[in-house]
Amino acid sequence: MRITQYLASKLKNFSNLPKEYIERSKKQVYWQTPKELNYLPRTVERKRFRYTTNRSWTGQFRQQNMPGTVRRKVLVEPIEDWSFFRGDRIEVLVGKDKGKQGIVTQVIPERNWVIVEGLNWHYRKVGGEKEFPGIIIKSEAPLHVTKDIRLVDPSDLQGTDFEWRFTEEGEKVRVSLRSGRIIPVPETNNQTHDYKTPNAYIEREKDTPGAVVGEITFQPKLSTFEMDIMEEMGIKEERTPVKSYWY
Amino acid sequence: MSSTLIKCFNLAKAAGNVTVRRFLAGPMQSWQACSALALQTPLAQMQMHTSPVRRDLMEFFDDKKNWSETEVKVGRAWRTEELRIKSNKDLHQLWFVLLKERNMLMTMEHECNDKMETFPSPERIDKVKISMENLETVVRERNKAYHLLETGETGERPQKPVQNALGLKINYKTCEHALPPFMNLKWIKSRNIGFGGRAVNRFLLKYREKLYNAKRKAKNRSRNEVMMILRRNPNFDLGVLRRQFPDVDVEKLRNEDKVRGHYVPKVGV
Repeated sequence: MRITQYLASKLKNFSNLPKEYIERSKKQVYWQTPKELNYLPRTVERKRFRYTTNRSWTGQFRQQNMPGTVRRKVLVEPIEDWSFFRGDRIEVLVGKDKGKQGIVTQVIPERNWVIVEGLNWHYRKVGGEKEFPGIIIKSEAPLHVTKDIRLVDPSDLQGTDFEWRFTEEGEKVRVSLRSGRIIPVPETNNQTHDYKTPNAYIEREKDTPGAVVGEITFQPKLSTFEMDIMEEMGIKEERTPVKSYWY
Repeated sequence: MSSTLIKCFNLAKAAGNVTVRRFLAGPMQSWQACSALALQTPLAQMQMHTSPVRRDLMEFFDDKKNWSETEVKVGRAWRTEELRIKSNKDLHQLWFVLLKERNMLMTMEHECNDKMETFPSPERIDKVKISMENLETVVRERNKAYHLLETGETGERPQKPVQNALGLKINYKTCEHALPPFMNLKWIKSRNIGFGGRAVNRFLLKYREKLYNAKRKAKNRSRNEVMMILRRNPNFDLGVLRRQFPDVDVEKLRNEDKVRGHYVPKVGV
């Protein structure tokens, strides 16, 4: 999924982290030209990352993209309208849990993946040695949104194909093709790591209260910022600057 | 919340002339309130968060109770539309609150690296940075509006696109001089405007070839990507591909050998 699609889609960023931080945390700069006149600004850095279920600001992501390593390119098909959100009830179409229904808990748009609660388990063996057989770790494997799952119609709880349509109010909704019923985007989609609903956010010590943020203190005035501050502080400037030339 | 209030009351007692009423007034709309950092105003304006002024080196460090935390939760950064409704004085004060916070965070990050600890919630640095950038944007907007109204110019440092000694287009930021250009002999001697010569032309030829190659490779890459998508999904929506890869002729690619999969197509299924 590309950035423009991501902005246009209804998918919310669960981590609630600023995208500058996400970009900064995964950056791997190998060489940067010094900021001197005789250098053109050039950067040699990692361009292609392998996105997995590990989010890009974590240490596991870095471990999977260690500096200097090259991994094969993964082909990700473009998706115009992202249609699977956290909290959606979906039906699995492949694998051991084929035909079962579950709730989407995590969405990974970098790979067109979703993770469904309690379905499509896979098992990993870690810590195996000569004497010790190792420990089995169980976790949900991701499912591909275009091939492996389909949405569940809320009217009869059966899997269905759907289409994005517009309501008379101009809102974009998913409509079940079998029953024609609207499949609403679940409220869970708006949850973030910091709060369940925006109203339930607990203010921290350094947060400015909402009322203060919304207060209008601006007064239009014929002066620059600096002139206004100087007036406020009682600084008077009576010298006139000498004529200068910009070239 | 309660500890903050108690702190405010204590400060109010100390200052004597403070209206704490404004701090209490109105419901706290948390969804708006997620600003990373509060205005640390003088006591006369108590409506925003203040921390006790210590005026020692420990102001460069975070609160002691955050030292061993793995996560320090804060709200989001200030947005430009929120800053546009604030007075110049508020913005001026907010700038220094943010600056102090940035100093504190960078000190903490350095100290954590030094002591082999994890720096909790490093995204706070980015939130402060975004707030400061937005604040600067708003101040520049205001100054630009004043200068345009009074002088018809933006009042910003003049810039113009010129070609440097290598024949490349650069953005030349002009400088302020006491003398006009025709009198400034030192500047006339030092400046190196214009380009020419065989070496420069040869350089430009190779430079343009490099740019062209980058463009050509990008085009080939997207062409290959379309072919691989079509090979894996023969029934992929061509309209989507056309919109996503506007420089690729999708219709022409459909008959390419690379698009055909390595399997015998099923007939009559």
